[in-house]
Amino acid sequence: MKGIDKVAVIGAGVMGAGIAAQIANAGVSVLLFDRPSEGKEDRNQIAKDAIGKLIKSNPAALMNKRNAKRIISANTEDDLRLLADCDWVIEAIIEDVGIKQTLYKKIDKFRKKGAVVSSNTSTLCREQLVAGLPENFRRDFLITHFFNPPRYMRLLELVSGSEVSDEQCKLIERFCDRSLGKGVVHCKDTPGFLANRIGIFWLQCAVVEAIKQNVSIEVADAVIGRPFGIPKTGVFALLDMVGLDLMPHVLSSMSESLPPEDPFHGIYQEPELIKTLIADGYTGRKGKGGFYRLRPDSPDKIKEAIDLNTGDYAKAERPSVDIVKKAGRKNPRKVLEDDSSAGRYAWSVMSKTLTYAASLVPDVSDNIEAVDEAMKLGYNWKYGPFELLDQIGVEWFCAKLRSEKTDVPLVLKSVGKGKFYRKSKGFREVFGHEGQYLKRYPNAGVLKLDDIKARSKPVMRNPSASLWDLDDDVLCLEFHSKMNSLNLWTLSMMDRAREKIETSEYKALVVYNDGTNFSVGANIGLMSVAARLWAYPFIDYMVRRGQETYKALKFAPFPIVSAPSGLALGGACELLLHSDAVQAHAETYTGLVEVGVGIIPGWGGCKEMMCRWSLASDTPRGPMPAVSKVFELIGLAEVAKSAEEARDMKIIRAEDGITMNRDRVLADAKERALELVSGYRPPTAVEITLPGESGKVALDLAVEGFRKSGKATPHDVVVSAALSTILSGGNTDMTGKVSEDKLLQLEREAFHTLCRHPDTVERVHHMLKTGQPLRN
Amino acid sequence: MVDIVIAGYARSPFHFANKGALAKVRPDDLVAQVIKGLVHKTGIEGKAIEAVFMGCAFPEGEQGLNVARLAVFLADLPQSVGGATINHFCGSSMQAIHMAAGAISMGAGDAYICAGIESMTRVPMMGFNPLLNPSLAKEYPAAYISMGETAENVADKYAISRKDQDQFSLNSHLKAAEAQGKGNFKDEIIPVKTPAGDMVDQDGCIRENSTIEGLAELSPAFKEEGNVTAGSSSPLTDGATAVIVCTSDFAKTQGLDVLAKIRSIAVAGCAPEIMGIGPVAATNKAIARAGISLSDLDVIELNEAFASQALACMADLKLDESKINLDGGAIAIGHPLGATGARITGKAAQLLKREKGKFALATQCIGGGQGIATILEAVE
Repeated sequence: MKGIDKVAVIGAGVMGAGIAAQIANAGVSVLLFDRPSEGKEDRNQIAKDAIGKLIKSNPAALMNKRNAKRIISANTEDDLRLLADCDWVIEAIIEDVGIKQTLYKKIDKFRKKGAVVSSNTSTLCREQLVAGLPENFRRDFLITHFFNPPRYMRLLELVSGSEVSDEQCKLIERFCDRSLGKGVVHCKDTPGFLANRIGIFWLQCAVVEAIKQNVSIEVADAVIGRPFGIPKTGVFALLDMVGLDLMPHVLSSMSESLPPEDPFHGIYQEPELIKTLIADGYTGRKGKGGFYRLRPDSPDKIKEAIDLNTGDYAKAERPSVDIVKKAGRKNPRKVLEDDSSAGRYAWSVMSKTLTYAASLVPDVSDNIEAVDEAMKLGYNWKYGPFELLDQIGVEWFCAKLRSEKTDVPLVLKSVGKGKFYRKSKGFREVFGHEGQYLKRYPNAGVLKLDDIKARSKPVMRNPSASLWDLDDDVLCLEFHSKMNSLNLWTLSMMDRAREKIETSEYKALVVYNDGTNFSVGANIGLMSVAARLWAYPFIDYMVRRGQETYKALKFAPFPIVSAPSGLALGGACELLLHSDAVQAHAETYTGLVEVGVGIIPGWGGCKEMMCRWSLASDTPRGPMPAVSKVFELIGLAEVAKSAEEARDMKIIRAEDGITMNRDRVLADAKERALELVSGYRPPTAVEITLPGESGKVALDLAVEGFRKSGKATPHDVVVSAALSTILSGGNTDMTGKVSEDKLLQLEREAFHTLCRHPDTVERVHHMLKTGQPLRN
Repeated sequence: MVDIVIAGYARSPFHFANKGALAKVRPDDLVAQVIKGLVHKTGIEGKAIEAVFMGCAFPEGEQGLNVARLAVFLADLPQSVGGATINHFCGSSMQAIHMAAGAISMGAGDAYICAGIESMTRVPMMGFNPLLNPSLAKEYPAAYISMGETAENVADKYAISRKDQDQFSLNSHLKAAEAQGKGNFKDEIIPVKTPAGDMVDQDGCIRENSTIEGLAELSPAFKEEGNVTAGSSSPLTDGATAVIVCTSDFAKTQGLDVLAKIRSIAVAGCAPEIMGIGPVAATNKAIARAGISLSDLDVIELNEAFASQALACMADLKLDESKINLDGGAIAIGHPLGATGARITGKAAQLLKREKGKFALATQCIGGGQGIATILEAVE
C-alpha cells in the first residue's frame, strides 16, 4: 500500500496551520499554502507568519519547536506546481463553495495522479463541493474534518463518496489514525456531520433555555458540566473559548442546510444579547471577553459573568448547586430528576440534546458507537449521548419524555428496558439500530484494557492496582488509585507482579492504564499525614521501599515496558526511568517535579537522570555538564510538554517508542515488550564520575545568585542545596567512581532531612489544599 | 628604551550571544577572520610577526586547546609565528598587549598580534566545568562573587542612582548609534562570514531607539531590591579583536600606520566584592608611571561592564565625561570578555589620532577584583 510522505495544506488560518503542525508532529513534511502577500518582499509572508504563530502558540501546536522546520511556506499563485510531490492535499480555506471549487480546479491541474484531495469543511456537504467537477477528481475527493485545536482534539470526521475507492479512503484513514493519532469516525454526507450536528444543537439549546429560564451562566455551566462528564467549561465558557462571532455563521449555515423538519429549526434564533456582545467586541477569549470576562481596568484578575437578561457584568460566583454536589460524577439522573431551577434547566437542555442525538439514528448515522465517539473525541465529553442514556436509564428517560408528550425516537423505543452497551459472554456489545446487539471488535492494532476486563478477571488486585493478562505471556500492571497516585498498594503490586513473572510462565510486564493520566506521582497526602503525626520513620520507610521496588524492577530478569499517556510526574517519571523501555503516547507530560513540594526525587530519579546524562554521548565532556543539566531539569521542576520533549530531556531514550494514537499505546507497548523478551538480559549497574563538593559549590553559588535577584525563595535554596549534594556525588572526587547505590543513599539522606523541614511540610500542605506550589 | 606602538586595530562586528548573527560562528574561525583581515588591511609581513597573543576569559571548548596557535593556522600565518593564549578574564586581551610590549622591551621580537576572542554563545560564562575550591568558597566567598552582585555593591558603596545608571546607558547607545551612523566603525570592522555564507559587517547590540523611559521600566537583574538592570549592564556578546603591537622602527619599515605609542601600563588588585572599581587603582598607577596627570588625558576608553562601576570610577578619578567613550561603550557595543581589552586599547589609539589629542587612557575592571590600564601617547 502506498503511503503518505508529503502533504500540502492550503489555507494557513488557525485550522490549516494547526493541521500542518500536527502533520509535522508526525514527522512528515508539509507545504503550507496561503494567498501571496501583495506588496511584500516575500510572497509567502502570510504562510510564514502562520508558521511563526504556530511556534509561539499556547497550548503549543507543535510537539517540539523544531518540528516547524518540516512546514514549508508557499503561496497559491506561484507554488502550486509543488503539489506534484504531495500524496495528500488538504483544503482549509473559507467556507464558500464557489471559491473552493475554483481552487479544486487549480489543484487538479497540478496534483500528482491519484493524490487524495480533501476539504476540512465543517458546514458544507461533499456533494455540494464536488458538483460539476470531473470524475477523476471526485474519485479522489474526501472530507476530512479536524477539530480545533488539531493537535489536541482527537476527532477526525471522514466523509467519503460512492465513487471513492476503498483504497484511497483507507490510505487517509490509516495515516490519520496511526500518524496523526486521530480517532477516525466515518460520517454520512449530512450537514454538520456528527459532532457539530449534536454539539451545535446542544450549545444553542443551552443558551436559549438559560435565557428563557433565567438561569445564571455560572449555574448553567456547573449543572451541565461535571454531572454529565462534560468539561467544566460547560456551555458558556466553551462558547467564549470557541469565539462568539463564529456562532452566527455556524447557526445560519446549519439552518440553511438542515431539512425543514429538523428540530434544530425550533431552537434556531440569534439572541439580541449575543449580537450586541459581538458588535461591542466581546467575541470571547480572543476579544475583550465574552459571557465571562476579566474586570477591565482592574489590576487584580477578577472574573466577571454576564447577566443574560440585562447584559451587565458582575463578579462571577462559584455557584454551590446542591444537586450537582449530590449527584457527584456518575449519577446524571439525580440532576435530571431534581425539581430545582438548576435541575429543570439540566433536563430541558440534556433531554432535548440526547433525544436529538438518538433521532439521528439511523438516517445520519447507523452506528451508535460512532455517535458516542464523535462527542467524546470532538467535544471532550467523557461519555457519549448513548452512554449517558445508559447511565440515566433509557426506560426512565423515555417515560419522562412521554409524560411531557415528547416523541420518543425509534432507537430509544427499540432498546426498551435494555442498555445500549452491555457485556455478554466475555465480549463488550453495542446495540445495533436494527434491534440486535453487535460484538465490539477493536480495530487491528488496538488493545483496550476494557476488552480484557470484559473477558477476564484480574490476575491480582488490590485497592490501588491490578494485574491483567494481556495474552502471549505478558502481564499488564494497571494503577487505579485516585489520579493513579502511587502508594504502598501500588508498590506492593509492583513487587507482586515481579515475583509472579519470576516464578511463572509470564515473560514481560507492561505498565499501562486507560486513565487520562498515567500517574500524578507519589501520594503526597500520605506524607502530609505522616508529617503531621511526626511519623517520620514511615516516610523514611516509604522512600527506601520505593527505591527497593524500582531497583528490583530495573534488574528483574524480564523486560518492563512503561506506556504513559497524559501526566507522568514525580514517582511516575521515576518509574519510566527504571523501565527497560518506554512506549509513550505522544501526549505524555512528564518530569521530576518534586522540588515544588520541597523534596527531591527519592525513588532513584536523581540517580537515573544523573547516570543517563553522564553516560550520554552528546553531553559535553567533563564532570560538570551532566550535573548542571540535571540540576536545572530537577531544580526547576521542568515538565516535558510532549513525549518528544521528554526525549530531549532524556526521560525517554532515543530507542523508546512514541505512539501518536492514544488507543494504540497498549498494543504498541505489548509488542515492544515481546520484542525485548527474546535474549533479554537485565541491565548492569553503572558507575559514573561526579565532581563532588567542587561542583556542588558552583551550583549552590548560582542558586544564591537567583535568591538575591528574587528568582529563588529561601526554601528553594535549601532544597537546591540538598539536590546539589546528590547530583555532585556527595563527598566523592572526580578521580573516583560513584555507584548507583551510593546515589540512592544520597537521595535517602536528602529526603530524610527535607521531609522534616517545616517549610517542606508547609509546601506539601499547600499543594494538597490548593493544587498550586507554595513559593516559600 | 625602544618605542612600542599600536600600529593597526581591527575587530569583528559585535553581536548578542545566542540570538545574534555570530551565534553559529566558531570562535576560532571568528578571530582568525579578524586577524587575517588585519594582516590584509595593514599589509604587515606575516613572517615578521613573533607571535599571536590571544586573550580569552574562558579558554575551553571551541576557544580552547591554545586557540592562539590554532588561529595562526586558520589565519594562514606562517608556521614560524608563535601563539599563546592569555587568561585575565575581561582584561585578557589588554594583558596580551602588555605582555607583547614587555616581550618587545626584552628584545624578544619586533611585532606581535594581540588578539582577543569570546563566543559567549558557544562557551558559557563560567565555562563548561565550573569546579570551585570548596574551602576557598567557604572561607572567602568573595573570590567567586558574581559580577552582577559586584555591580550592585559598587552602586551601593558609591551611591550611584538608578537614574544616573539609566542615563549613562542611554548615552552609550546614543553615542554608539551616532558613531555607527557616521560610519566611524567602518575602519575597524572586518566583515565576518558565517557558516551559512552570510557576511556580517555591522554591530548587532546597539539599540538606537533606546529611551530613558524604556530603561526605567526594567526590573533589577541581580538583586531583588537592587538598581542594576540588564539595560545598565553590558550584554553577553560574541566578538573578536586584534591589534598590532610593534616597535616604531618596525612600523616604519613595514609601512604601518601608527596610531599611538604605549606610554605606560599597570594592573592593580582591589576587593573582589567591588571589582568594578578596579580601574581606579590601575589608572592611578599607570598615570604615575607615565609621569603625567589625569588632566593631561584627551581620550578615555573606560570599559562599561556596568554603568554603576563606570560611573563610580569616573567619580572617584574625577574624569571629564566629555572625553569618555566617544563612540559609545560596552553597554551599547557589547562586551565579549576576552576581546574587550584589545578593543578599547585599539579604539583609544584610533581616537587619539582622530581627535588629535596627546594622551589616552584605556582601562577596565576585571572579575576577582582587579583593574588594568594602558596609557597611550600620540606620535608625531
